[in-house]
Amino acid sequence: MTGRGQVRFEDIVKMHGEFSALKGVTFDIEPGEFFALLGPSGSGKSTTLRILAGLDAPTSGRVFIDGRDITATDARDRDIAMVFQSYALYPHMTVYENIAFPLEMAKLPAAEIEPAVKDAARKVKIDHLLDRKPGQLSGGQQQRCALARAIVRKARLFLLDEPLSNLDAKLRMETRAELKKLQRSLGVTAVYVTHDQEEAMTLADRMAVFMAGEIQQVGRPAEIFAKPNSIDVAAFIGSPPMNLLPARFADGDVIIAGHRLKTAMQAAGERDVVVGIRPGALRIAPDGLEARVELIEDLGDTKVLDLDCAGTAMRIRVGDESVPPEGTVISITARPQDVHLFDPATRRRL
Amino acid sequence: MTAKRFRFIATMIITLIFLLAWVFPIVWSVLNSLKTDQDVLAYPPKLIFQPTLEAYRDVLFGSGSILPNLISSFIIAIGTTVITMLMAVPAAYALARLRFRGKKFAGFYVLATQMLPPVGIIIPYFLILRNIGWIDTYQGIILIYLSFSLPFAIWLLVSYFEDIPFEMEEAAYLDGASRMRTLWRIIIPQVRGGIAVTIVFVFLNAWNEFLFAVVLSGNTVRPVTVAMFNFVSVEQTLWAKLAAVSVLAMLPVVILGIIAQKNIVKGLTVGAVKGGGRR
Repeated sequence: MTGRGQVRFEDIVKMHGEFSALKGVTFDIEPGEFFALLGPSGSGKSTTLRILAGLDAPTSGRVFIDGRDITATDARDRDIAMVFQSYALYPHMTVYENIAFPLEMAKLPAAEIEPAVKDAARKVKIDHLLDRKPGQLSGGQQQRCALARAIVRKARLFLLDEPLSNLDAKLRMETRAELKKLQRSLGVTAVYVTHDQEEAMTLADRMAVFMAGEIQQVGRPAEIFAKPNSIDVAAFIGSPPMNLLPARFADGDVIIAGHRLKTAMQAAGERDVVVGIRPGALRIAPDGLEARVELIEDLGDTKVLDLDCAGTAMRIRVGDESVPPEGTVISITARPQDVHLFDPATRRRL
Repeated sequence: MTAKRFRFIATMIITLIFLLAWVFPIVWSVLNSLKTDQDVLAYPPKLIFQPTLEAYRDVLFGSGSILPNLISSFIIAIGTTVITMLMAVPAAYALARLRFRGKKFAGFYVLATQMLPPVGIIIPYFLILRNIGWIDTYQGIILIYLSFSLPFAIWLLVSYFEDIPFEMEEAAYLDGASRMRTLWRIIIPQVRGGIAVTIVFVFLNAWNEFLFAVVLSGNTVRPVTVAMFNFVSVEQTLWAKLAAVSVLAMLPVVILGIIAQKNIVKGLTVGAVKGGGRR
């Protein structure tokens, strides 16, 4: 299957009346890649997926799959399989009939349908439920049935629209891992829509971060985590979110609440900046920023401290080491390479 | 406990009153259809009598047999139902799903036709049919029946179609199904209950219709609702025969009701139980 499922979005615009849902979106997906479209609700990620599937037409721009312009091609002729957030199983058909439906539509001979359905069902571990109707399945089983229906056809592209959002937390974790293994073993290109940054980080080979109808950043999850290119991406990726503080840049240092912190940026001059430091990159050390511990959130293996640093709220994540009690004033610092600088006007990374 | 009991008894009494009011004419018809003309008119009414099928024999096989009228009624009701459903199902689907010019107007028109008092349009209908020579023909009566059964059926079916999530259809398209295939394989099986309910209502309306039939029919095509009045004349009313015809005319309706009962209840509670793939 490798070599199939290459996607190119070229300057796609989607208008809903006066409202622009997508403002010129361009990106590429490589064959075999697990590509996540990540963003808050209303950011345009689902619209992007629907345009790729052929369920919505773009207002302008072009979509290519495997080098062919499919902008005007019908959804059913695109050879794309999709798992919907609601699963969209056909309630009047058995699990077997649901999974067999795409093969029937492809006019496969009956002799080939049965082994293919059983194989797909086995891969997602629902081969014992083939005679049931969707209404008799649990949420997790319904989700697997939807997956089986999508993988049975061996389509060149595999779309998933928030497929895990209706599952409970434990099941979501398990299914997440299985989904990744499944995609790898099939070698298909997968496009995955989610608003959950953790899901995108763990699943995706690469991801595109959507904000207000535009792609803010495309890259490997670790890359985006390490080098967010805007304040919005920085605030969206990572949990707990990055600390963002207004500060003054002066000759390679930033001045926060009267305290100087070294940065990796070697530049002369002074200007206003927004400083971003991840909670995990902050350390308790002498001669740093002074902050009062307001609240300690114990997560078991780590603890998150809510701090008040001269009127600005900050968070720091610490490991097992002894934690100062609530109410005490501590001194915190960060390594220069962990201090991100953003332009407060353009909100872009400096 | 006592309050509960009181409520139960009160409910039963009220139900019983309604039931009696509803059942009385039917019981009256059935009993009288089994009496002789003399027994029917006896005063005080005879509750115990020698039952006879004489009236049935006369109305079915006598000189003024209503068998041809029953057949006419069947042809009209079945014809109306089949044509209505063939047109209403795709129309309702289009109104529920597609975007097209004039959709709002079309939707309003469908409902507006339901608001006209039938008496108001009976004369124009008569004139139109007379001009094209369709008075006293099956096609004439069925055409007129379609003019009210079709909007009614469409209006009823639209809500069933609207109840099916969009994603279900989109999933079918991505699975490679065409719009027609999706309609047949995915949508219609899910609105089966609604279709059954609509069939029953359309059939009953066509079967029971009297006002238009009495004006637009004649000697060739005369449904049983009109033919029944053969037994009411200036000099006398043949009560036993009239009752027998009533019972015969009721039979198909009752049988259809019993067959469709399960679906009607299911159809009326549509949306209460959600399908496998709901938003």
